[in-house]
Parts: sequence; C-alpha cells; structure tokens
Amino acid sequence: MLETMLSGQLLFAALVTGSVYALVALGLNLVYGTMRMLNVAHGDLVMLGAYAAFWGFSLFGLSPLLMAPVIALAGAAVGVAMYRMLFRKMLGKASQSTAGKVESNSLLLFFGLSILIQNSAAFVFTPNIRGYVYLDAVYTLGNVSMTVNRLVALLVAGTLCVSIALFLSRHVLGLAMRAVIERREAASVVGVDVDRVQKLSFGVGFGAAAIAGVLMSMLEQFSPFSGFPFTVAGFVVIILGGLGNITGGLLAALFLGFIETYGVALTSANLRSVLLYGSFVVVLLFFPNGLLSKRLIR
Amino acid sequence: MQFWLGLAVFGCVVAVLPPTLGNEYLIGVALTVFMWLALTPSWCVLSQLTGYVSLGHVVFYGIGAYLVVITWGQWPLWLAIPAAGLVSAVFALVVGGQVLRVRGPYFVILTFGLAELIKFSIMAIESGMGMAARILFGAPDLLVIYWLMVGLAVISVLLLGWVSTSRFGHGLRSLRENEEAAETLGVPVVRYKLAAFVLSAVIPGMVGAVMALRSTYFVVEQVFDPLVSVTVIAMALLGGGDGVRGPIFGALFLACMSELLWAKAPLLYMILLGGILVVFVLLVPNGLVGLFQRFKVRE
Repeated sequence: MLETMLSGQLLFAALVTGSVYALVALGLNLVYGTMRMLNVAHGDLVMLGAYAAFWGFSLFGLSPLLMAPVIALAGAAVGVAMYRMLFRKMLGKASQSTAGKVESNSLLLFFGLSILIQNSAAFVFTPNIRGYVYLDAVYTLGNVSMTVNRLVALLVAGTLCVSIALFLSRHVLGLAMRAVIERREAASVVGVDVDRVQKLSFGVGFGAAAIAGVLMSMLEQFSPFSGFPFTVAGFVVIILGGLGNITGGLLAALFLGFIETYGVALTSANLRSVLLYGSFVVVLLFFPNGLLSKRLIR
Repeated sequence: MQFWLGLAVFGCVVAVLPPTLGNEYLIGVALTVFMWLALTPSWCVLSQLTGYVSLGHVVFYGIGAYLVVITWGQWPLWLAIPAAGLVSAVFALVVGGQVLRVRGPYFVILTFGLAELIKFSIMAIESGMGMAARILFGAPDLLVIYWLMVGLAVISVLLLGWVSTSRFGHGLRSLRENEEAAETLGVPVVRYKLAAFVLSAVIPGMVGAVMALRSTYFVVEQVFDPLVSVTVIAMALLGGGDGVRGPIFGALFLACMSELLWAKAPLLYMILLGGILVVFVLLVPNGLVGLFQRFKVRE
C-alpha cells in the first residue's frame, strides 16, 4: 500500500489532473471575480472544446494540439458573445433590484444555459461516449512511465496557467482585471473601463475552458454530460484558493488533483464522484472563505 | 375565497375523471400531474417565500423512495410512507442548520451538490452490497397509488396556502427582502428558515415513497435525478407570483407539456426546460401570474 502511495506514477497522475483543474478554475475565477456570477455552464465549454478537438481529429485528422489555439479563440468568441447578449443587460438590472435575488436568479440562468448546451450537444452529437487515441506512446523517466499525451497536457496546462498568472500581474489589462476583481467601484472610479474588462475576462475564461477541453479529450472519454464535474471541481478550487487569488487557485487545484487521485487509488473508482461532491460540500460548508485567503466572500 | 372554491371544484373534477373513465393511461398521466402538484408547492414553502432557491429538492424524494425500497416486505405501507416523510424531515433538520447559513448563489449550488453527494453515496453503498437495481414485488394497485398522490397534492397545496398567508409566512418573506433587517426587527430568522426547510422536505419524502411503488423498479440514479429538482424550479418560475396560484399554474402547464414530450423526445424536452429557465429569468422574472397581473392593471 505504502509503495503505491509513494510511487511517482500516482504523483504524475495527480499533477496532470490538478493542472487541468487549475486551467478550468482559472477561467471560472476570472468570470466570477469580475462579475460576481457563478457560471455553472463553465464546464460545458470544456465539453464543447473536447468535442471540437474530437471532430477535428476524427473527421479531418487534424492534430488537437495544432487546433487548440483556434478552438480557444472560438471559445473566447462565444464568451464575448454571451457577455454581450445576456449578461451586460442582467448586470445593468442588478443594481436596481435586490441583489440577493438577482444572484440566485443569475445562477438559474446559467443553469438553464448549461441544460440547453448539454442537451443540444446530445441532440447534435448523440449522447454516446466518445474518445480517440492520440500521442499514446509511452515515455519512461526513472521508474515512472507516462503516456506522451498526459505529459503534453501537463505541460500545456501548466504553461497556460503560468502565462495567465503573469499576464494578470504584469500587463496593464491584467492589472485592470485584478482591480475590478478586488474593488469594482474603486476600479471604475480610477478610470478602469469595467465593461471592457468584463468582456475580456469572459473571453479569457471561456478560451481557457475550451483549451482545457481539448486537453481533457486527449486523456479520457467524454460525453455531452462530462462538463458538469469540471464545473464542480472549478468551484471547489476557487473557493478553497480564495476568490481572485490566482496563486491560491493553482495550489488548491493541485490539492484537489491529489485528493481525487489518491482517494480513488486508496478506495475504488466508484468513489470518484463521492470524493468530488464530498469535497465540494465540505468546502462550501466549512471553508467558505478558503484555506489560504483571509478575505471574506460575503 | 373564490379562488379556493374554484380550485376545489376544478381539482375534484380532474381527480375523479380518470378513474371513472377507467383508462389506465389517463390515470398514469393524471398521477404524474398530481405528483408535480405535490412537489412544486412544497418547494415553494422554502424557496419561493424565503428566496433561498434550492436546487436539490430531489434529495428528499430520493430519500423517501429509498426508505420504502429498503423496508419493502418488512414494514407495512401505512408505516413506511409517513416514515419516508419523517426521515426526509429529519434529514432536513440535521443538515439544515449548516446549509441554511450559506446564502444566495452559494446556497443554490450547495443544495445541488448535497443532493448529488447523497446520490453518489447511496450508489456506492448499493454497488458495495452488490445491488444494481431492485424490484418491488406485490406493489399496491394503481388506483391506491393514484389516490395517495392526490391526497399528497391536496396537502401540499393547502400547506403552501396556509404558510403563505400566516404570520410565519410573512416572516419568511421579510427575510427574503432583507435578512438583517428582519432579524433586527425580531423575526426569529434561523428558526423560521429551518422550520420552512423541514416543512418543505416532508411532502417530497412521501411523494418519493409513493412513486417508488408506482415504478416498482428501483434504480438510484432515477430517484435522485437532478432533473426532478430542475423541473420543479422551472414550474415555480413559469408560474411565478407570490402565493399558491403560480406553482399550480406552472405545474399544470409544464406537466402536460412534459407528458407530450418527455417520453417521445426527451432531449427536446430538456432543451425546452433549459430554454424556459433562461427566458423566464431574463424576460419574465415574475412568471405567468406576474404577466397576467400586469395585463389586468393595464386594463
């Protein structure tokens, strides 16, 4: 038992899962942080990204990695379009009526969107489970053997997370984004174009989700209903890591990856969902302010 | 008063008609309609009045169904069905203290996550015991199930009617508008929320128990299907308003629609459900009742 626990194989698997979660959560964090709306449909973008990679690969033989930037741009375009069509209006209304009800309602709106996306996808793509084989050569380092696609997923997700984190801490637009996340009113007072920042965060967030989908499609099988667990994982991560706290989010994502991988290895694969939803409920009930951040949610 | 009289007459006609015609398909359809008429008002007791929107109402339904299934053959029905309501209520009481401290959108996803957690846990327990599915032999006659469900629907509507006009109900509404202010003015906020949560859990527990008798074939995913919670919300949202009318309209309307579509084109039905959520939240937040009232005011 102890040997399995300490093996590099498991460590590697946990890192891969954690890095994909980190990418998903980063996008969710940006949208949540700037808009204060929980986007339940976030995981469905992951699912759509996975389908885009799958169809490109199986119909035209296109490499998912080469298509990833295109898919990300398409995801970003969807994000900007959704923001323009649905949420700008909703946010405008939010200031007028009672905030609590609008927040709950915005969640129902996202939930409705999620149902729409999932079932439309099932309608168009059929509800069958899909998957494809890509870069499955085995690469051995020391006593750890890993398939190339997992290695690539880890590298791509890791690089993207780090570059987004750098963008947020170095670039002017990234700084503006963080300003909106931290103090919305104050940011608009000092001249940050809040509308533009929100549009940008929808774009970046959805783009990141779409790429996470591409990576996910290389690793496991999926169906039109595979997105929701990613949403849940994303929520666990951003709540644990602290809202708007990017470094905290990265650490929390790795933590969740470890819990899930080691939990399943210690018990059984049947318990994967129990572990995921269990950590979700525990986090919301007992650590609503995160493990790392001292800031309050409310 | 007029409304209640009309409702009573209408309800009696709708309830008596299918059994008199003796058409089994028709009884089945009416049973489903009454099931939604029982579930939706029970959801409203907490979520419509307090604004704590629960996306996990199915958890009580599933617990009730599961209790009947595991006590099948050991407990008589007159004991098992009320016990299902009681166990759901106790579950609500136990988790409520913690869960109701969470607010707004967090409460919404928390209730969803909690329902899914219970579902996956029971699935793990069942598969640990080597049970993929269970079959109930010797379930009572369809007509018995039917009248039980009609009874539950009546109780549920009366419960919402009573709560929404009572002092308790006004207290619940006050915490929807502003919880801090309500507390300052002396509304026992914590006790009221918990009471509403427990009350809203009893009926779905018993409905789940009765529906388990109806299907006789028990699969965990089916009795804990999040679709039940979503449908209930869509019905309440569709009806809108702030009382008994909205949920009744919404449930009748959508139940008939689902009867037409669910069996034949389940995906289309789901797309429609998602569409209803999006359109009503964005454009008709007060539902059909609100729309109707606005119409009347204009005239």
